[in-house]
Amino acid sequence: MSADSAGVIHNIGYRSYQGERLGRPQIVRALCWYSLRSAFGFGRGAKAKIVPVLTFVVMCVPAVVSAVVIALSSNHARPVSYDTYLSALRILVLIVFMAAQAPDLVSRDLRSHTLPLYFARPIKRIDYPAAKLAAFIIALLVMIEIPLLILYLGTVTQLHSGSQVWHETKALIPGLLVGLAWAVLLAGLALLFASFSGRRAYATGAVAIFFFLTLTLSRVLIQIGQQGGGGQGLAKTAGLISPFTVLDGVRQWLGGTSPGIVPAPGGEGVLYGLMFVVFLVVGVGGLIARYRRVGVA
Amino acid sequence: MTPDGRAAKVDTVTNAQQPVIAAGKLTKRYQGSVLALDELTVAIPAGVTALVGANGAGKSTLIKILLGLLPATSGTATVLGYDCATDGSAIRTHTGYMPEHDCLPSDISATEFVTHLGRMSGLPATAAKERAADSLRHVGLYEERYRSMGTYSTGMKQRVKLAQALVGDPRLLLLDEPTNGLDPAGRSAMLDLITRIGSEFGISILVASHLLGEIEQICDHLVALDGGRLLRADTISAITRSSEFLLIEVDEGSELLAAELDRRGLAPVGYQRGLLVQLADDADHDTVRDVLADLALPVNRLEQRRHRLEELFSDVGSEAVAYEAKGAADVRG
Repeated sequence: MSADSAGVIHNIGYRSYQGERLGRPQIVRALCWYSLRSAFGFGRGAKAKIVPVLTFVVMCVPAVVSAVVIALSSNHARPVSYDTYLSALRILVLIVFMAAQAPDLVSRDLRSHTLPLYFARPIKRIDYPAAKLAAFIIALLVMIEIPLLILYLGTVTQLHSGSQVWHETKALIPGLLVGLAWAVLLAGLALLFASFSGRRAYATGAVAIFFFLTLTLSRVLIQIGQQGGGGQGLAKTAGLISPFTVLDGVRQWLGGTSPGIVPAPGGEGVLYGLMFVVFLVVGVGGLIARYRRVGVA
Repeated sequence: MTPDGRAAKVDTVTNAQQPVIAAGKLTKRYQGSVLALDELTVAIPAGVTALVGANGAGKSTLIKILLGLLPATSGTATVLGYDCATDGSAIRTHTGYMPEHDCLPSDISATEFVTHLGRMSGLPATAAKERAADSLRHVGLYEERYRSMGTYSTGMKQRVKLAQALVGDPRLLLLDEPTNGLDPAGRSAMLDLITRIGSEFGISILVASHLLGEIEQICDHLVALDGGRLLRADTISAITRSSEFLLIEVDEGSELLAAELDRRGLAPVGYQRGLLVQLADDADHDTVRDVLADLALPVNRLEQRRHRLEELFSDVGSEAVAYEAKGAADVRG
């Protein structure tokens, strides 16, 4: 620190830290922000950004195209609804995003045995999964809601009266809420499956297989039910298998009118609501239990 | 911090007599009734302390309890004046921990990793960056700290592990087998580093190791565990004082020498190509000199050696047993 020792750069002595120390909430927030960045490959090499950036672009393309179509068409009608937003595409893209990026948040720390370093710091056990969960929910919100906002902005710029803008905004809000439900439910399940293995390939496989398998099974059964194989009852309850169909069932149960990937559940809507809670508890509770068990040092 | 917390902190700093780590009848029984710590009572003062014992002696269990990560079955433990059972968070704010095993992700740089863990220690963003750079420089990582850690040698990885323990400006470091996997040059560099942190940085250090031989060179105190019990806790000088040996090698007349030394009560044992005698005090030096002069033997080597502490503990701390067992083994070999 003194001038005469400046000649030797590497020997300026040890400096102790007198500044402020942040508390547990701020540390958790810092971990959440760090995890959110890694969900999109920031702070990693260029290769880590390929999948998140590509999936994000694919999610946004329909919104941008729609905005252009709206601008060019004579009646300025929006071709895509906010609350379903091309379900098939959205589901596919989100599964790819979750399978690729959820392991980045949880699996790599397991693989490199970094967890003891976190637990040896002034946070509690539950803070780690909580921060990861919050980060992945935000990441999924970015993936889901930003295309909706692009679509909204593309539409309202073509509108001329305040009442039309208000009407458009009223249509957007349920879409955003559906997106929030998707993000919360999917984030917990994706992180839980990704945290099963420290091996990235296995973690990715677990996430992809869980979401694809349940979705395929659910859709096949719905189709059989609709063709009269098991009656309307089968078609209505087959949607309880997959998180995606459950989300769509809940949307329709709560008053969503756009046609979705499951038939309107009607009286069985409560079951969809119940199943939503089950998936939520399994995802979030399972994740917390997972990190309660994990060994330290 | 609460006013109480601050008061406790001041106490530990001003009162040098107060132990950095204290355990009272500390017991840890794992499920399945494995007894990892058995009524361990020990007080560790400021400075560099070795925590030695074979694998399974309870070293890692003790460290986990001290960090407040594992509840003790019974007994008490305090670190820096904080109670391990209730103030784990405060302990972890002021304690750096270097685990035994590999714990570094391979795809990010040391700078980024240590900065992140600095933030996890509660440093604001700018301070974390500065202290990460400082810590990495202190452990001797320069340009390579911007490279991803997957490309690092074992020695460099150990340095990063030490740097991440230092980044939060701890008052105590818990190092678990810091020389694991290092070559001799790497070992001595790591030991020098630990010595420097202890003396120049003024940070108290507890070093867990099963290699007594190397750890004794750098420590002020030693705590030896065996099967979860305290075997011995003392200053290094007190322990080594009773373990000085003289190796005598003569070109011829070795048997004659052995007989004469034996007659004068020095109980020599064969060691390598010479004889090993334990020195209790200065008079024993004179005895050896006199015997060699009286017998007029051609002396080849006369070497004072500190018997490796390891051997002192190889048989429940019985120095004589270890010493004789070693000698007997060498004679047979």
